[in-house]
Amino acid sequence: MLLALLLCYPGFAGLCLSMDRHHAELLGYKPTARRRSGLRIGGWLLLAGSLWAAIAAAGWGLGLVQWCAALMLSALSLVLLLPYQPRLALLAAGLGLLVSPLAALAQ
Amino acid sequence: MKEGFRQSMAWLHTWAGLVFGWLLLAIFLTGTLAYFKDEISHWMQPEVPSRSVSNETSLILAQSYLQQHAQGASRWFINLPDAREPGLSVMWQFPGKPGERGAFTQKLLDPATGAELQARDTRGGEFFYRFHFQLQMPHPWGRWLSTAAAMLMFVALISGIITHKKIFKDFFTFRPRKGQRSWLDGHNAVGVLVLPFHLMITYSSLVIFMSMVMPASILATYGNDTRAYFNEVFPASKTAPAAGKPAHLVQLEPLLEQAREQWPGGRVGRITVNNPGDANASVNVMRHGGDQVVRDFGNVVTFDGVSGKLLQVSPPQSTALAINGSFYGLHMGLFAGPLLRWLYFICGLAATAMIGTGLVIWLGKRQLKHAKSGVTPFELRLVEVLNIASMSGLVLAVAAFFWANRLLPVSLAERADWEVNSFFIVWGLSLLHAALRRGRKAWVEQLGLAALMLASVPLLDALTMPDVLDGFLVHGDWVRAGFDLTCLAAGLFLAWGAWKMSRPVAQPAVAARSRRAALETEVN
Repeated sequence: MLLALLLCYPGFAGLCLSMDRHHAELLGYKPTARRRSGLRIGGWLLLAGSLWAAIAAAGWGLGLVQWCAALMLSALSLVLLLPYQPRLALLAAGLGLLVSPLAALAQ
Repeated sequence: MKEGFRQSMAWLHTWAGLVFGWLLLAIFLTGTLAYFKDEISHWMQPEVPSRSVSNETSLILAQSYLQQHAQGASRWFINLPDAREPGLSVMWQFPGKPGERGAFTQKLLDPATGAELQARDTRGGEFFYRFHFQLQMPHPWGRWLSTAAAMLMFVALISGIITHKKIFKDFFTFRPRKGQRSWLDGHNAVGVLVLPFHLMITYSSLVIFMSMVMPASILATYGNDTRAYFNEVFPASKTAPAAGKPAHLVQLEPLLEQAREQWPGGRVGRITVNNPGDANASVNVMRHGGDQVVRDFGNVVTFDGVSGKLLQVSPPQSTALAINGSFYGLHMGLFAGPLLRWLYFICGLAATAMIGTGLVIWLGKRQLKHAKSGVTPFELRLVEVLNIASMSGLVLAVAAFFWANRLLPVSLAERADWEVNSFFIVWGLSLLHAALRRGRKAWVEQLGLAALMLASVPLLDALTMPDVLDGFLVHGDWVRAGFDLTCLAAGLFLAWGAWKMSRPVAQPAVAARSRRAALETEVN
């Protein structure tokens, strides 16, 4: 479940940054079209990866439940962090990506 | 019909949400607490020691206890302790008069010694669990009302999704410190981000009560013989009558291993013995409900109660039953380990917050219109009073329930009832208080008191049960420590809420009008 969470959160962060308004708010400038689609594809890939991670770790029944839980928790924490601690919100996404290979090895 | 589809859905969302909002809020908050039912019960019965003993040891003790104390009973029920529920509970039923159910007796045993535990009389977490679908009403009415509320919740969810047109554009948007705007953002955020949970929990609650609400399909298939339907869903309830010849009951504990062989990696949850001490005795060993996501009530291994021979292993669930069982399992979350259980709890809180913010928005939007004249019409005042009592009042009542558990004398007659009474008395008082005090003052006072009571739960626990530190430092009873710390955290959060409420909102005069106009079009 840890790996699923570590992939979900950066996935949502990527999808969030792929929107002009949030990108401008968080990083101070509007993204180029290429950057935008890159972030979007990356975000979706990470979400798909977390689905795979959850199912690989816990089987179909429990895995799907865990994936949904990871989706909801990471989206909720991202949205609550963004207005108060935007830097921390992005830092957490970066950290999640960095630690996820370790979690994948441990799994 | 000049109004568009979206407008009519917005109307439905607004009014369905308002009329059932207060009830739904109570159902969701108590239901959320019920995810920690066993943990709450454990805190409320500190006399039950938390020990890890093997199922076999507990079962030997339970059998010898029942053979001494439950002679002549028609059925024994043995609930084995697990990580969440430390007590070994045994129950037996004497044969009733024809056409009547015999009386049940229940005792709690120490799983390590088999001695009867003198635990205080309390409903524990079971109270919240029962309240969230029975609403403390006589038998069918509470279930009907809560099912009606669930139906309206489903309506409010679907109409809410349709009303909230920018569901993906606003997915990551939450703008705090902006008054009414923030409430709306918050309502949308907890609604959309936790939507899978909302839909699952609401829909599954309807599936759980489907035999009551929509019996048409059952009646069509089984005719008037609805027992046949329940026998198919819960096959373990079929039993052979007693033969009337005494016979020695088999030793139960070796049967556990045989049953577990049928379920690789599975645990045993409950054992029932039919006609113990009779030649027709049978033993049902049931699988632990938390083993799988899909709940299977029929997962039973049946043994002959005299020879110990394996009689029957229940067949795998049919697809229809598995679908039913998966909704049941998902709703109850019995399979969830600690992390997933906390996530269930957080999702439940998010659902509660969604209902609460919705009620606040309904009122805030209408109060804006009357802000200039300074006169609040009666209906708005009524909604305000009910909002206060249903939110801060309910939290206060929960805190009072915990306090009553520690402060009421252990020997008090009908002690468990008095705990429940104190819950409702405090809830009633909060309603009265909200009616007497001005809105903001009432919020601050009730939230402040609830914060104080919850935050001091650890202190209360330590003073009334002096062994609390000993409990989790020596015996590793982290459940009780976790309960204390969670109460403390909840108290601090409520204190923050009370502090926020106590400061006057600075309404920027210039921007207010244009923003209000924008809100008018959007909130509706």
